[in-house]
Amino acid sequence: MPLPAKAFQRWLHGVAPDASVADVARASGVKRTTLAQQLVRGKVAEATVVGISRAFNINPVAALGSFEPYRDLGKPPIPPTLQELVSQIATADLLHAIISRTEPDAGTGKGTGPPGLSAPPHATSVKNWVDAIDDGELRHRVSTATGVAPQNYSAQLTANRLAPELAVATSRAAGVGLASGLVAAGLVTEAEAGWPPGARQAALDSMTDGELTVLAGERLQALGKTLRRQEHDQRQTETIWENLG
Amino acid sequence: MIEMLQWTTLIASGAAALSRIPNLVRRKNRSIFYALALLTLAILLSIDGPYLAIDALLGGANVANLLLRFIIFGAIFFLALRIAAGFGDSRGIQLIRGRTGMLALGLISTVLVVCFVLMDTSGSSAGLVHVAAKNQQNALLVEYYGAAGRAYPAYVCLAILPGMLRAIRSPLPALLRMSAALLAVGSIAIPLSLLFPLVPPGLGFLRFIVNYTAILCFVVGLALIWVASGRAGRKHRPLPAERH
Repeated sequence: MPLPAKAFQRWLHGVAPDASVADVARASGVKRTTLAQQLVRGKVAEATVVGISRAFNINPVAALGSFEPYRDLGKPPIPPTLQELVSQIATADLLHAIISRTEPDAGTGKGTGPPGLSAPPHATSVKNWVDAIDDGELRHRVSTATGVAPQNYSAQLTANRLAPELAVATSRAAGVGLASGLVAAGLVTEAEAGWPPGARQAALDSMTDGELTVLAGERLQALGKTLRRQEHDQRQTETIWENLG
Repeated sequence: MIEMLQWTTLIASGAAALSRIPNLVRRKNRSIFYALALLTLAILLSIDGPYLAIDALLGGANVANLLLRFIIFGAIFFLALRIAAGFGDSRGIQLIRGRTGMLALGLISTVLVVCFVLMDTSGSSAGLVHVAAKNQQNALLVEYYGAAGRAYPAYVCLAILPGMLRAIRSPLPALLRMSAALLAVGSIAIPLSLLFPLVPPGLGFLRFIVNYTAILCFVVGLALIWVASGRAGRKHRPLPAERH
């Protein structure tokens, strides 16, 4: 649910009392027309608040916490679980880790060490995160709490999208740190969500070879399935072009 | 109102046929052009004024009506085959081009011609209204003749309908699913026309609405596919398009 324009104006006034809409737009990288449109419609996107917060050196999570629907984001953060941290490591990074564990000298050549983990989100961040915190009933609880139909929720997960409101609702329903979902959805960075620096790398290092390999295998299997489905759909579409185009 | 629907359908179908000319020149899916051209001709023949003019050229014995029926058969045959092939519906293709389909076409065509020959068809009249009014035997024959004329398109539409319904629920791009939905509506509307004899005379306008809506759905559905194909072409192959 986007934020009401009135509350946004009040917040903006507190953050940058003298700035015009154009100034704010320039500083935050939000397009001026986009911002103006959101103000006219009375609904301001969470991403706008995040962009402006960054421009004025405010923590975006705390900024969102000053709006009613996200009130509890303002509370001291719960640290992410191990599963959450690992879920936000890209599949390619997991594979890198496997390779560097089995052949420490391979790949990069002259001992530059394994490359650092790429920042979240990755291509299947959202789904991996929800899977990491799901106790089997999570999707059901989120759907009851938010009134979003389960199939729409699933569609978002598959598309690697998650509306901020749903991300926070998911965290709430799972009892994990409230900002984690925003990290997985790519709205805020792990540092902004209060994840300790190097936490993902530490989580990765704490996994045994077996755990790591099984996890990477699951990721690859899911990726393979998705790719096969996409290829199938692509072929189907091409048949249509060929015959009817 | 009905006149407007008729002319709108004619224009839409004619425009769709014209838009296929570049592809005709490029020898790409030419049968779609021929099918649409036939369809346009069929719509023209189904409108009072043009029908009377053309039938006068053909001797004024309503041969134009018989011609119209076979034009529709041809157009729907080629169009449905293309559609079924496009949506990967091999069962649909089999039902249309296989033995059952050919048998249906042969049988229905025979009934059509026999009814026409047995009728006293003198006196041009669109929809054979005046022919039916001549005597009771003629009225009965016109009824059978009309039913036969509607039966083959209905058969073909029912053959491709399952494929369309599958495509609507498939993960194809939205535009393609929308066109599948339009084609499905058309494929449902045409078999419905078999129920026309049960429509009370006061609601006769319903016949026109069902007929022309069905054709419009087909034409717009196909046009949507070209829109989608044009977009996809621009997205995937930007370079070849700009070289020309």
